[in-house]
Amino acid sequence: MIPQDIANTIVDPRAYADGKRIDHAFAWLRREAPLEQAQPEGFDPFWVVTRHADILQVERQNELFHNGDRATVVTNIEADTQVRAMTGGSPHLVRSLVQMDNPDHFNYRKLTQGSFLPQNLKALEVRIREIARGFVDRMAAHGDRCDFARDVAFLYPLHVIMEVIGVPEHDEPRMLKLTQELFGSQDPELNRSGSEVTDVKSGVDTIQSVVLDFMTYFNAITDDRRANPRNDITSVIANGKIDGQPLGYLEAMSYYIIAATAGHDTTSSTTAGAFWALAENPDQFAKVKADPSLIPGLIEESIRWVTPVKHFMRTATADTELAGRKIAKGDWLLLSYPSGNRDEAVFDQPFKFDITRTPNKHVAFGYGAHICLGQHLARMEMRVLWEELFKRLDSFELDGQPKNMVANFVCGPKSVPVRFKMH
Amino acid sequence: MADPDFKVWQCRTCGYIYEEALGDPSEGLQPGTRWADIPDTWICPTCGTPKSDFDMIEL
Repeated sequence: MIPQDIANTIVDPRAYADGKRIDHAFAWLRREAPLEQAQPEGFDPFWVVTRHADILQVERQNELFHNGDRATVVTNIEADTQVRAMTGGSPHLVRSLVQMDNPDHFNYRKLTQGSFLPQNLKALEVRIREIARGFVDRMAAHGDRCDFARDVAFLYPLHVIMEVIGVPEHDEPRMLKLTQELFGSQDPELNRSGSEVTDVKSGVDTIQSVVLDFMTYFNAITDDRRANPRNDITSVIANGKIDGQPLGYLEAMSYYIIAATAGHDTTSSTTAGAFWALAENPDQFAKVKADPSLIPGLIEESIRWVTPVKHFMRTATADTELAGRKIAKGDWLLLSYPSGNRDEAVFDQPFKFDITRTPNKHVAFGYGAHICLGQHLARMEMRVLWEELFKRLDSFELDGQPKNMVANFVCGPKSVPVRFKMH
Repeated sequence: MADPDFKVWQCRTCGYIYEEALGDPSEGLQPGTRWADIPDTWICPTCGTPKSDFDMIEL
């Protein structure tokens, strides 16, 4: 069993905000207990999968390691009990691709997969470049200082995905606020209550109220798109059919919610984290500014560096063996993506930010059937933004201490103050 | 100039694209490596999908 202080750290949102504390915990685990059970206070025990190779093994075997059988995000016993009471027994408040297994996962993913393939995204590049240029202009309009996270990184991917989904621009601030209330539910600066979450019940109630607000919003859009279909993802979901039947209410609402949250927040975190890392590594900025062909390398290294999705849970569907350990049917496993992406067995000097790192086979998008649906869009958005920004950005540096979100699931920097020179 | 007979293959799961003309040096596949010459045990470098679950596409 993993020592109690390390087990508690793995689920502590403040450890992820601190950065170093979570890195130390996982470095210790990779060295001393790379696949071992943890039982943080108040939680059922679960295996902590810290090594890159073991994460791949679990993610490839979708029939052996299910997403939907237990909570897909690490959840304490009290919260799990409350969610099951609310839902009539399900451990999930929503039922998106993340909570599905086959055959549903395959069928629901197929609905929108084509829209996110590289060859089909090409048509969006001209518009995305126009949006990126607009944000570069806005950054320049700030003068010589801005908070790159709040003023650029949060807003640009939000605008892109909302156009793809079909949410009008005037609703973008609402979508951003709801997203931050959901993923930042443990952060007093972002959550709905504006205070420290000390009471599990009110924490779950608040998350449910955010989910219900999303559902109310997208239910109205569904009605509109059924009556007036457009060329957007909302119309695909609203009019989509599985086995000849329209999507169920919960599944359709969950599909919108995942697109409207994970569809921008993860890219925002990576973009903000990349800028922070470049500020701390001016030699890397000089390299990519001098040679834009290094931008794809910057993107992959930023994704590895930030790893905005910190974990997902899986549940074993049968007794099995993983890395020499016996896993029993029903066991719960935490796949730690930041740990996999700092695995010394795969990455040379993993704590060094190196845009020329090759190969860079990070697991930040996951692996196997559940690999991130929007990965190609995310890469394209970042590439276009960096191409446009670096043409005009002469120099920049941090203008204060950046801050990470207080969260243990999906998170990244929430503030990156910078001073810069642009032309 | 690229051989016009070079084909392009795409992973059904994640959308990874293998272009025969470009190969994938990070996978040890040199430019010009034909799809048929890649072992059947090869898996998608991005998501682990088997080679059999790739489709030929036109870019």
